[in-house]
Amino acid sequence: MEEVDKILIHALKQVGTEVSEEIDSVRQFSSELIVQAVVRCIQVIDPGLGSSLPTSLPPGMSARFRVGMSLAQACQEIGYKGEIGYQTFLYSNEPEIRSLLMCLVEKLPREGAETSDQPTGKSVVLQRGIAAAIKAQLAVPWLPTHCRLPLNIETQSPEALHSFHAQPLRLSPFTKGPEKKQLKVKKNYQRDILPPVTAQLSFHTSLMASLLEKHTDELSAAQEWDNEWNSQGLLSRLTPKEYRSRKLTRLRKRVKEQLRAAEVPASESAFGGSRSNTDLFELLQTFKGSALSDLILTKGTHFTHTKKFTFEQESASVTNPIPSGHQSESDIQDRQQMELAALQHQFQQLCSDGDQLTADMKHISVTNTQMLNELKQSELGISEKENKMQVKKKTIGLLPDADDNLLKLQVLVEASTKRLVNLASQWEKHRAPHMDEYRTLKEICSNHDLESSRMMSEIRSLHDKIRISTEEARKKEEMYKQLVTELENLPQDVSRSAYTQRILEIVSNIKKQKEEITKILSDTKELQKEINNLTGKLDRTFAVTDELVFKDAKKDESVRKSYKYLAALHESCNQLIQTIEETGTILREIRDLEEQIETENGNKTVSNLERILDDYKCIRHENSALAAKVREG
Amino acid sequence: MHSAGALKGWNMATTETQLMLSVGLIEKDVNGDTLWVWCFPSVDPDVRPVLLSKCCLTQDGRDLHTFVFGQFRRAWYYITTVEVQEPTALKKVTHFSIVVTAKDFNPEKYSALSRILCRMYINDGSPVKMMEAYLTVLTKGICQSDENGSFLIKDYDVRRAYLAGSIKDVVSQFGLETIILYTALMLKKRIVVHHPRIEALLEFTRVLPALTWHRKDWSILHPYVHLTDPELEDLKKCPGYVAGFVDPEVSNRSDLFDVYVNLTDSVITVSQNAKDAMTMGKLHKEVGLLIVQSAEDSERSDSQVIKDISVKTKEILANLVALADECEDSKLTLEGLKQHHFPPATENFLFHLAAAEQLLRI
Repeated sequence: MEEVDKILIHALKQVGTEVSEEIDSVRQFSSELIVQAVVRCIQVIDPGLGSSLPTSLPPGMSARFRVGMSLAQACQEIGYKGEIGYQTFLYSNEPEIRSLLMCLVEKLPREGAETSDQPTGKSVVLQRGIAAAIKAQLAVPWLPTHCRLPLNIETQSPEALHSFHAQPLRLSPFTKGPEKKQLKVKKNYQRDILPPVTAQLSFHTSLMASLLEKHTDELSAAQEWDNEWNSQGLLSRLTPKEYRSRKLTRLRKRVKEQLRAAEVPASESAFGGSRSNTDLFELLQTFKGSALSDLILTKGTHFTHTKKFTFEQESASVTNPIPSGHQSESDIQDRQQMELAALQHQFQQLCSDGDQLTADMKHISVTNTQMLNELKQSELGISEKENKMQVKKKTIGLLPDADDNLLKLQVLVEASTKRLVNLASQWEKHRAPHMDEYRTLKEICSNHDLESSRMMSEIRSLHDKIRISTEEARKKEEMYKQLVTELENLPQDVSRSAYTQRILEIVSNIKKQKEEITKILSDTKELQKEINNLTGKLDRTFAVTDELVFKDAKKDESVRKSYKYLAALHESCNQLIQTIEETGTILREIRDLEEQIETENGNKTVSNLERILDDYKCIRHENSALAAKVREG
Repeated sequence: MHSAGALKGWNMATTETQLMLSVGLIEKDVNGDTLWVWCFPSVDPDVRPVLLSKCCLTQDGRDLHTFVFGQFRRAWYYITTVEVQEPTALKKVTHFSIVVTAKDFNPEKYSALSRILCRMYINDGSPVKMMEAYLTVLTKGICQSDENGSFLIKDYDVRRAYLAGSIKDVVSQFGLETIILYTALMLKKRIVVHHPRIEALLEFTRVLPALTWHRKDWSILHPYVHLTDPELEDLKKCPGYVAGFVDPEVSNRSDLFDVYVNLTDSVITVSQNAKDAMTMGKLHKEVGLLIVQSAEDSERSDSQVIKDISVKTKEILANLVALADECEDSKLTLEGLKQHHFPPATENFLFHLAAAEQLLRI
């Protein structure tokens, strides 16, 4: 019972009841305390119900009576199933109070459910701490600079803030395991020359930002590499180095192709084919823009060049006469006209020259093709004729003895045919087994490939499993650490282990008792069976003896007397047995009554009765006072 | 008598020089490998990869092209592909192709021969029997086929091969634009035809040289070309050709053609640099109408249509020769042509035609 009371008191303290330190069992609760405890519990369980209830008993009797009734009502609404009324609060007894408080405490909402939803991880504890600190800082009201407490100056002034400006850092790479082959030069550099991170920056304030940037950079690169390796790299069955080098060449090729495709001017593709309108292409066009115009200038035809040249010449010759003295107007005009005619004549001649040249070019190209054709044909003709000549030469050589030679030729041809066929069959004997072998080996190879790809997929699934398990293990570790820290931070007043020990003890006790009870029950059953047996035997024996003796009793006097004695004996023994049974029953009743007395004694009935009588007297007084008031007014 | 009989038997082989060059065997096995397994007498190692690329077994597509042919390095190749089905003596082979190379253009002949050889190979499982049959054809011009008959070379005249295509189909597909093809062929220009299906390409291109029947030159025909360096180099050696491509990329290669024929869309395009040589005038319209009329006449057969065209061509050529005779040493010059005051398109055409027929003075 003490543990139950301790738990109840602890719970009530948490709810807000002021239980003083000396009270350590429910028996010592006064009515005031009971009322306070119950009201606080109801307020937590159901704020709507609890708001209307006072936390302390008012002095007036009728008011107390009313409060008691409403409390009882509230408790019933919450769900307490036992008998409850105003007397439970005003004239309490221990067992009722205990059961009521236990019911209320059980109904208190659980706080533990909140924590299980939050994410685990030891960083979570840190994050919660950070959030709490920031909340506290935000809660502090803003004050102008000169009014601030020195405690807050650091966090509230703007000098503490810096913009996020990251600078590149050089760090020595973290090598896994002893890198014995690391170059000595590199080691020396890292040891002597490479400045520490804090000295590498031009702005000291950007240290945090730079470190964060560098770390995130490396972390994301490593993660990306992991992802890529796990998805594509393993599939390609290359070592990481080979995979990387292959990827590099592939990317370079693509860049080259892109540049090349953008380089090809659109006019080359026939019928205005697909012009790549990529940004790259346009960019390259802008680069080319200035260059093209230069080209156009330089690509000018012979005609335009000569034209320019002639103009220059002409202009030179024109400018010359002018400074050499003043001529008359008409002379100047005439000269100009002459020059114009000459220029026009020249122009026409150049045009005709150009036309002539183009016509010549066409003609030449056409004759060129004709020449090439002729050449080709004659070449082919020559080779064919040579072949024919060879054959004819040989035939001429054989002509003199035509028939014989023909026969000989036939025989020769047939013989060589046979020989060829023979050779072919011999070759076939060699070739066929080789082909078979090649094919079987290829089959074996492809089977191996299948096997290896199957094993690859198995390996990959194993990798996945490993990853998942490590994740889970890590999470569990973190959760464990977090819970351990939380456990340490928890208040130590309630020791759950003591309770659990006690509960286990009680459970084992109950088990033992149950065993004993079953043993006793079985013993009792045995005894009862024996009694029944013996009673039955007794009756039967008596009946038999009775008959036997009665038969002889008619004849003999002594037998009649012994019969009378037998009957009396039986009678007395029966009475004895009856008395014993009654004694047993009475003893049991005594025990029951004693138990009842004990429970009733705990109810403090006598004190309660006295109090009830007092209160009854008070109420009667109040009633008469009220009646008098009513009569007066 | 003995010799006479023997002489007769040898008649076939002696009338023409040896035309067949080699026979080769490509197999595809259960592992998915396509290998060149056997050949007789030999195939140049440069030519072998080209032939392998032409064989449909090396290509990724599912479809089997039973018979394809083409020209490479002045030799014709004929590839017959067969899927192996039970009963057979071949183990682990799913498909195979027989490649016959020869100097002459005669698809029907070599197709028939290849079929016989294929059947022999399937039944026998070893190429020896095949080689025997090949040798008999080579030496005697005749070969026993297992279908109660024999294969005789003399049954397959080359003229039949030339006339086997259908000129009427060409005209019905392109109508009056056939005159562009006619002009290009007459002027020995480069024609490129594109169609994704090889059979359609072969069927169409093989009939085009028939438009210039007076030359009877099928060496300009390259019906199956891939855009690879060795083949394109070989193609460029010919000044004028009819080339067929299945690769649609060829439309971007304006350096390869003067006339581009998109067979699927029935569109003929003349490239920029050939436009002035290919200008057409009244003469062309006349010839074009003649071609269309002749082809549309349902009572005239294909060979008759070709004959009509060749008659007209001969007429034009006779005129040209006459013009040339007027000049010294029977060679035409541009001035001589200009004196006749032809309309400029006709003059241009005759000028280029004279160059093609080698009637121009150098």
